[in-house]
Amino acid sequence: MQKKLVVFLTLLLVVSVFSVVGAQEEVKSPDTFTYVTIGDQSTLDPHFAYDTGSSELIYQVYETLIDYEGESVQDFVPLLSTEVPSQENGLVSEDGTEYTFIIREGVEFSNGNALTPEDVKYSFLRGMVSDRSGGPIWMLYEPLFGAGFAGLSDVTADVVGVEDPKQLTDEQAEEVLAALDEKITIDGNEVTFHLAAPYPPFLNIVAKGASWGSILDKEWSIEQGAWDGTAAEIADAHDPVKEEDPLFDKMMGTGPFILTEWVNGDNVVFRRNDNYWREPANFKTAIIRNVDEWSTRKLMLLRGDADMIYAPTQYRAQVESEEGVTVTTGIPVLQNMNMIFNWDITTEGNNYIGSGEMDGEGIPSDFFEDEDVRKAFSYSFNYQAFLEQVRMGEAIQLRGPIVDPLLGYDENSDVYSLDLEKAEEHFRNAFGGELWETGFTMDLVYNSGNDPRKTAADMLKSYIERINPKFNINVRGVQWSTYLDASVRGTLPASFGGWLADFPDPHNFVQPFLDSAGYYAGRRGDTYKEWAAESGIDDLISEGISTTDPERREEIYKELQQMSIDHAIDLWIDQPTGSNTRRTWVEGWYPNAMRPGVDFYSMDKVAE
Amino acid sequence: MVNYIIRRFLILPFILFGVTVLVFSMIMMLGPYQRLSTYINDPAQLKGQDMDELVSKYGLDDPWYEQYGRWIGGVLQGDFGWSESAGQPVTEAIFSRFPATLELALFAVIPVVMGGIWLGVLSAVHHNQKFDHIIRIVSTVGWSFPTFVFGLMVLMVFYGVLGWFPPGRLGADAAAIVRSAEFIQYTGLNVLDGILNLEFGVVVDSFRHLIGPIVTLAIVWWSYILRITRSSMLETLRKDYIRTARAKGVAEKFVINKHARRNALIPVVTVAGPMVLGLLGGVVIVESVFGYRGIGQYAAQAAQQLDYSGILGVAMYFSFLLILINLIVDVSYAVIDPRIRLE
Repeated sequence: MQKKLVVFLTLLLVVSVFSVVGAQEEVKSPDTFTYVTIGDQSTLDPHFAYDTGSSELIYQVYETLIDYEGESVQDFVPLLSTEVPSQENGLVSEDGTEYTFIIREGVEFSNGNALTPEDVKYSFLRGMVSDRSGGPIWMLYEPLFGAGFAGLSDVTADVVGVEDPKQLTDEQAEEVLAALDEKITIDGNEVTFHLAAPYPPFLNIVAKGASWGSILDKEWSIEQGAWDGTAAEIADAHDPVKEEDPLFDKMMGTGPFILTEWVNGDNVVFRRNDNYWREPANFKTAIIRNVDEWSTRKLMLLRGDADMIYAPTQYRAQVESEEGVTVTTGIPVLQNMNMIFNWDITTEGNNYIGSGEMDGEGIPSDFFEDEDVRKAFSYSFNYQAFLEQVRMGEAIQLRGPIVDPLLGYDENSDVYSLDLEKAEEHFRNAFGGELWETGFTMDLVYNSGNDPRKTAADMLKSYIERINPKFNINVRGVQWSTYLDASVRGTLPASFGGWLADFPDPHNFVQPFLDSAGYYAGRRGDTYKEWAAESGIDDLISEGISTTDPERREEIYKELQQMSIDHAIDLWIDQPTGSNTRRTWVEGWYPNAMRPGVDFYSMDKVAE
Repeated sequence: MVNYIIRRFLILPFILFGVTVLVFSMIMMLGPYQRLSTYINDPAQLKGQDMDELVSKYGLDDPWYEQYGRWIGGVLQGDFGWSESAGQPVTEAIFSRFPATLELALFAVIPVVMGGIWLGVLSAVHHNQKFDHIIRIVSTVGWSFPTFVFGLMVLMVFYGVLGWFPPGRLGADAAAIVRSAEFIQYTGLNVLDGILNLEFGVVVDSFRHLIGPIVTLAIVWWSYILRITRSSMLETLRKDYIRTARAKGVAEKFVINKHARRNALIPVVTVAGPMVLGLLGGVVIVESVFGYRGIGQYAAQAAQQLDYSGILGVAMYFSFLLILINLIVDVSYAVIDPRIRLE
């Protein structure tokens, strides 16, 4: 008996190890699409959301005025408007400052309320009023009010001289609302946006994929407790705390799906909107499940319980040759990764820079202000090995902040490559030769668990320490909380950064990375800010965003890209490409770099 | 005994208060920007954030006593705060996961404890025989085998190959029934609610999803329980009163089951308490491998994200459980061995 049991168990184990787990011949659950991934969502409020997880949910339920056409991130098709505004069809004014959208008739929200131009106007105004700190709404303020306007507080300061919108009196609030109101006007069935100046990527900002462009049902939103459209409620509705936001866990859109259940971190369930204004979706139910463990996700795909999964690069080989599984790689991703040099390191209480002096035992505050040091670091990184071994070939080298295929990206532009002779030359020139004589000691810090960052730091250490035995770099992994703290305090000599496009335009990359008012300028310190203003970078960026001539824009962005390399502003590492892993029975999937995750509506399940 | 139980419960609020002060103090040792990682838990979220504005918005730079005061003030009104890592209020986060954890614990504890005791007794009775040797080897391997590896093997065999026991808590069809308006969730325990709603498909599906985690937990914990039972049983079987019983001609079955086993159970009860606590506290690895959303996953997530409301809530939950289970263990001693009196 025992022998039989042992034989049975052994057989079972052998079968489990060597068998190709049953590729299901028939389509499993044809009416349900299950996407199994990792991560969670922050909120369901389109004006609060600024993370991919939340945007993925919002994408299924809410709709925008226009959508991207197929895989393109530059061509549009109408969605809730009947035409894509252009100068050719007269819906964009000749000076490029007025965009008119003709609102589609006969569209209903899933509660049966009809879509009206008033809903469209309310949606954008509500976004601009709520404008939570750290949220995405700055993208509406910049085109509508001009450069330097990044939120409601800038408007209140400009209009009534009050910096905190929560402190507005009723009279002041009326003035502020009037200022907002005149930026979006309704004429019959048309909604017109009045921009402060030409803003070429404006259509990208309101296109599908951008949750902040979602159209809400005004009546329903007000019923839920969202901003009621009056001046008196501006202060209360502005900058909500997430848990007190009335639309935090509710959705009401015109889209192909209706949210049924949201258990954050576990699963999200949608049901088909059978009254959808286009053809109803192919699936009655669509599910996003969160499963952190890769092996479990893999088995669910192979058993056919998952139609699509998130498969990290390092594990993908385990499924790509399996029958019934399709893997697509090389998908464009508008994202970059770089190492930001801190030009003005905070020395107080800083244990990442040794002595804080140029004495071989540390580095001074202005270590990376010296262009030779930055260039020497840039020549000491093995880009090719990083792309091949860390990214496993699924990335391309960055040529500055602008990523492929945006305007200004040139695949033949100058880049750095590993060249220790040139690195040595620059190290010898740095600080008038003093650095070469004294040497230096510093820490390169990454947040624990981020293996690509660790490898990048190890690479730099390895090559730089080879150049001069007096050069010492300690690679340190710290908790994310510590990393965040050090980043904010400016104590990290160099830190890793990256940017995922908000909208597919080079401005969205050069502004945060190069502009003196940009996000990463803050991480480089005041010295950089002064330099960026003096070197003409700021002027070029301003010209780039306000010029409608594509050729001039291209020249400007190429120049900025070149400057970022010539001055080694940062160490520009790579732009990853994406992948998709799904059952072969899934049809209709296509990539779009601006889509936050899956688009259930475009897909179907068809027997192989 | 009643007085003893009441006294233990009266101490509870003081212990919980002490725990919160301790945990809060530890969290406050971190600076405001470090604690900001609760709200920004991914480098990708750094874009566009004004850190100082966020620190001020969440009151992270307020004195510690003000922050603690705000939190404890809410607790006294039944509001345990907002859990950023769960994206819901702390009480909701715990209560929404508790039924899953309780269901797993309830169904796991019986086979784990009973199976462990049964195997331990058998092993002791067949001391140094072939069966005993096999059990000892299996238990040593089982105890030293990493849980996640064993869990993955169970998942691979019983789900990947055989398709019997899928991960998660319910399949898509059963989940749709549970979500429907007609299905009343009386307890949140799917098996029980399935029976009460006469939805036996839900009951069967729930069992299919429970067996994988239970088998994994059982193998690991059996090894522990059976070793304790075995050594305790061996010691008991050498006692004079056992020899006397045998000399009097009492049947061997009766000697083992009636005289020896009951007396050998005291150490088992001692270890079973923490084991149940562990099960009710959530089993992070098993929950992760089987995609089973329980309290263990939440506790780990809250700790990782420095979600202090979540951490405090979970700490209070654990403390409450610890006290409750220790009390049950103490009472069990008295039930098993009438010589023990609780004063």
